Amino acid sequence: MNDMNDMNERKFLWRRFTLREGIFLGFCATFIILARAGLRLHLHLPGHVMFFTMFFFLLARGCVPKIGSATLVGLIVSLASFLLGMGTKGPVVFVKFLLPALLVDVAGYFFPNFVNSMVACVLVGAVSAAVRALSDTWIEWLSGMEGEIILQKTIITASLFAFYAGLSALAVPSIVRRLRRNGLIDQGADDTR
Amino acid sequence: MTHDSPVHRLGAGWKIAICTLLSALAIGVRTPLELLALVAVTLLYYFSARLTPFDLWRDTRFFVFQAVIIIGLYCLKIGQSKGLWPGIRTSVQVILFYIPGAVLLRTTKTGDMMRGLRRVVPYRISFLVFVSIRFMPFFFRELDEIMTAQRLRGARLLPRQLLDPRNWGDLFHCLLLPLMVRALKTAEDVSLSAEAREFGTREQRTYFDAALHTEPLSPESGKQCSITPSLLQPCGDMNRINIRD
Repeated sequence: MNDMNDMNERKFLWRRFTLREGIFLGFCATFIILARAGLRLHLHLPGHVMFFTMFFFLLARGCVPKIGSATLVGLIVSLASFLLGMGTKGPVVFVKFLLPALLVDVAGYFFPNFVNSMVACVLVGAVSAAVRALSDTWIEWLSGMEGEIILQKTIITASLFAFYAGLSALAVPSIVRRLRRNGLIDQGADDTR
Repeated sequence: MTHDSPVHRLGAGWKIAICTLLSALAIGVRTPLELLALVAVTLLYYFSARLTPFDLWRDTRFFVFQAVIIIGLYCLKIGQSKGLWPGIRTSVQVILFYIPGAVLLRTTKTGDMMRGLRRVVPYRISFLVFVSIRFMPFFFRELDEIMTAQRLRGARLLPRQLLDPRNWGDLFHCLLLPLMVRALKTAEDVSLSAEAREFGTREQRTYFDAALHTEPLSPESGKQCSITPSLLQPCGDMNRINIRD
């Protein structure tokens, strides 16, 4: 966004995001929900939901390069899914979306320009998606499942999530570059931490 | 699915309490008898909400894949005869853990959940959540229009074409890129519109109280009613009304 980081613009949320940025991040959440609803109707492949989820988390970070942008998208998706009754796992939906989003922001904190690199994007996307597989682990552990089985199952699920997330992350740097070239988003990372 | 049942009529707080209790019990059960009893209670709760077996399948089908993996791994590790029961038990426990949450979501009105969320979620985040939900039909239409236009230009965006990973470039560059451009422009318009109404200038939420418009004035007073400043008043000060001679 051209002048999103203009100092004259009033901060709307967390003394960090302007109203325009907040609404744009809300739209990223809209796209994740639309993609989830669409995929639910057509595909039944395990882990495929991470394809668009991670794509929009990374794109949110690329378009609004501030710490917390992916987390805000995660929070909005969780709340909207909860309100729309889309989370079959009930309140666990918050962990499901916030955990990978937080990891994207952590990566953004240490490597502010990671969305410019295809390799970095794939790595961050795959790792964040794989970590989401941990959201079920504590329930299985409390249910008395054996540690070895939990580990094996988590590896299978995490691999599928990481595969789909990695595929979608490949496209993020080129889209961010094209948006920047057309002056639709600001140039480079913001160090607002 | 019927939208009226004893479970529908329960308060959201009660449903959350039942959900927490049943989910905690699902984690705690170990013996076949306990598990059977819990399955019966959970199903009774589910079907007392007048939900159908098809609804149950829709709510639990995502766990079928997990159950297959868990049972398979147990059988591989400790043999088919010994591994079958712990595999089934754990899978059923995981499914039972999530069913009460599904009932909560299916039987609680969005308005009730919003009221509950309002107590814990700041109004600025609530605003973004509702903007996100409000714009779903808009972006769905946009998506459809962009897809049609790009298909006419030769982009390979038909569902069967998108099964081929070689066409995913078209998905990203012909569909998602224009959609992001549209989102950026719409965000700008919406924020300008909201800022023009001084939205977000106060720490507390402000709102327009329509009731102030309909408040009757005594006919003999001959006074005019204006409510201009009230648009910017925090919730507690909304009863203010200016009467001009």
